[in-house]
Amino acid sequence: MNELNKQHIDACRFCWMCRHICPIGNATGLERNTSRARALGLSLVTRGVYDMTEVIDNVYECACCGACTKECVTGWDPVMFTKAARLDAALEGKLPEYIMTLVENCLDCGNAYGAKEIGVELKDAVAAHAKKTDTLFFLGVDARYKAASIAAVAVRALEKAGKPFTVLADELPSGQQLAYLIGAADETRAQMAACAKQLNQYKTVVVYDPQDASVLKREYAEWGIELTAEIVTFTAYLAQLVKSGDIKPVKADRTAVYQDPFQLARDLSETQPARDVISAYLNLDEMLCNGKHTMWAGNILMAQWMPKVIEDVAMGRIANAKGVKANTIVTASVSEYVSLKNAPQSDVEIIAIEELI
Amino acid sequence: MNEFLQSMILTELEDAVGEENCSTREIDKVTHSVDYYWLSRMWADRGRLMPEADFVVAPKDAQETSKVLKIANYYKIPVTTWGGGGGTQGGAIPVAGGIVLDTKRMNKIYDVNTEGMYIECGTGAIYKHIEWAANEVGKATMHYPSSLTCSTVGGFLAHRGIGVVSTKYGKIDDMVLQMEVVLPNGDIIYTSPAPKHAAGPDLNQIFIGSEGTLGVITKAQIRIFDQPEERRFRGFLFKDMHGAFEASRELLQKFKPSVMRLYDEAETASLIKKIVGVERKGAFMNVAYEGCSEMVAVEEKILLDTFKKYGAEDLGSEYGEKWWNEKITFFYPGHMMDLPQMFGTMDTIAPYDKIEEIYWAMKNAIETNFPQAKFIAHFSHWYEWGAMVYDRFIVEGDDVPKDPVEALRLHQKIWTTGVRTAIAHGGVVNDHHGVGIKLGRLMKEQYGPAMQVFEGIKKQLDPNGIMNPYKLGL
Repeated sequence: MNELNKQHIDACRFCWMCRHICPIGNATGLERNTSRARALGLSLVTRGVYDMTEVIDNVYECACCGACTKECVTGWDPVMFTKAARLDAALEGKLPEYIMTLVENCLDCGNAYGAKEIGVELKDAVAAHAKKTDTLFFLGVDARYKAASIAAVAVRALEKAGKPFTVLADELPSGQQLAYLIGAADETRAQMAACAKQLNQYKTVVVYDPQDASVLKREYAEWGIELTAEIVTFTAYLAQLVKSGDIKPVKADRTAVYQDPFQLARDLSETQPARDVISAYLNLDEMLCNGKHTMWAGNILMAQWMPKVIEDVAMGRIANAKGVKANTIVTASVSEYVSLKNAPQSDVEIIAIEELI
Repeated sequence: MNEFLQSMILTELEDAVGEENCSTREIDKVTHSVDYYWLSRMWADRGRLMPEADFVVAPKDAQETSKVLKIANYYKIPVTTWGGGGGTQGGAIPVAGGIVLDTKRMNKIYDVNTEGMYIECGTGAIYKHIEWAANEVGKATMHYPSSLTCSTVGGFLAHRGIGVVSTKYGKIDDMVLQMEVVLPNGDIIYTSPAPKHAAGPDLNQIFIGSEGTLGVITKAQIRIFDQPEERRFRGFLFKDMHGAFEASRELLQKFKPSVMRLYDEAETASLIKKIVGVERKGAFMNVAYEGCSEMVAVEEKILLDTFKKYGAEDLGSEYGEKWWNEKITFFYPGHMMDLPQMFGTMDTIAPYDKIEEIYWAMKNAIETNFPQAKFIAHFSHWYEWGAMVYDRFIVEGDDVPKDPVEALRLHQKIWTTGVRTAIAHGGVVNDHHGVGIKLGRLMKEQYGPAMQVFEGIKKQLDPNGIMNPYKLGL
């Protein structure tokens, strides 16, 4: 743990100012699910009171969504030291077993789930776009292995514009899962470098999953992974197609709220394109904590070790939608779409933005 | 506690609240052992572990809370209630071990009632969340302390908290209708359905401020208000604080602003300069007034006329608005005092005929007896009859003893000197942070024989003394 991380840990260890916007803490109500608790535990590790193994489970209860970092007026960054702690634990061989399994899966199969075959619903869609073009549609591991049906809808949505694009059957992982699980380890960088090599064969890469888009646009640059291809988010690309008239929306008299993925809204400062698309199809309302202040709605990866919490996180976001009397949430993240869809409720309909197309 | 008995009790607690809501994990125990009390923070900073609970339990409602208290009473083990842990007085620290009862699962918002103008919620709700719920129907809670985003409804009730718009809307004890309380024996009771009545003493006010020593407040109806049509600000600079007191007392006989904050010369030259940008000698005062636009216009005229009489320089609305926007910024790490500094806020309250004298007496007592300490203050909550002083001492890191026990002793001595001085000059042991373990020893000095009233209630309700021992002087 370097001095910068120690400084942030010590700043946060007695401060709860961001408690109210932590999606995990709001879902569990647990004191340990605060940036302050994580910082306090890690501060005692840096002081030699605890071994990392005593606090590491808590370090993996964080979504790294950055709501706390966004909230902090002083600029302290709990996500930074959480990721640093994960890297330290990995380097010291102190990862919890359930995380180690996921990491090994990433290294063996390219995805944390250990899946080797893409979902059947996606196979035909991928095969139809095997031909090399200038534009690659990058699906990401969640779409390929855990959400094939909706990913196939996304492919069909792009087809509507009539522009050629490629989808790779042997798409390499972006490294976003390893980055989340163990941070900037050599293994993560190696996975990213391999992916960059594949992506650089294209002029433009349209990235379906905001989790991938965020690492491709941020961590790759930060960690010196060279990307020559232009990276465009799926939402920005759709907005462009709607604006250019390549996709012709038909507006319905129905109101929805938009669930901003934090990777787009906070990491990439992208909040408007999805709104432009949604507004072309539906009446758009806003729920509590939107735009850069978005509240995360869950993901597939964390559901591997804390499924009930992720269910509660999603239910919390659904409650926010109900708070403004919305009966439809539009998502732009495959992972949030799956989390919200899996929530045990039927009051609010969950629609992926590609379903509008 | 031996391992066998501890395991037996654990199974009972798990049966009461569910296994997943009952923990003996170190991470849960340590995070419930350090609150916002300087001593607990210093202890952790020096790499020492504070006293920890044996069990951390999180009941979902009054029924589960009742089960936990019955178990605790049977085994005669302490129960310390924990809301957000943002208290400064050590009130939530489980100094005697036993059970920490975390209320945050009791966070349900049951009713946003715009007819009765209240929100009914579990006391584990984060106050900001009920503010959001009020905002969604166009209302507001008007309880805006610096800890709004991190503290619970129950936490504010437990120590009689206050927010920045208190002069118009009141303290937390003015903002409650009915409460649900679990007594130490497990009985679930309700206070009267309306807070103003002639049906005997006010049950609400027995439990509000009792800091978890008399039971656990599990549900409350919290008042909501219409959003003001307009909220205006005005900053003023007084040559000295005396003129500001005279002006404010007169103003409060005419109308109630929402915010009134007067900073002494030392805070004006430090915090106000840093956060708000006023670089002038004197005492800065910020006043906000709000409500129907027509009333606000009239109030503004009264304010300007009144303050002019006392020589206040009108700084316009800019600084006041900046102050409002930055009102919580003061309390973020990097802006607030922090370790390795030693510091404390000895807030006290008194009528106008005593409050200035208290300020000068405390300043003199601290600076004379502890030359290493700096004394700064502001006056942030005002009434027709008096005001509170938010006075702080700060000892720079180099002057703080390296040995934690020595640091603890110095901290205690400064506190004792400051608060004793306040009491001796007609102040109260605390205004809105509570008593906790920090000031418990001074409660008897404050109340004298009146303390037997509190002790009698405690003995009757909690004969085994399990509820938050060593807090509030009980």
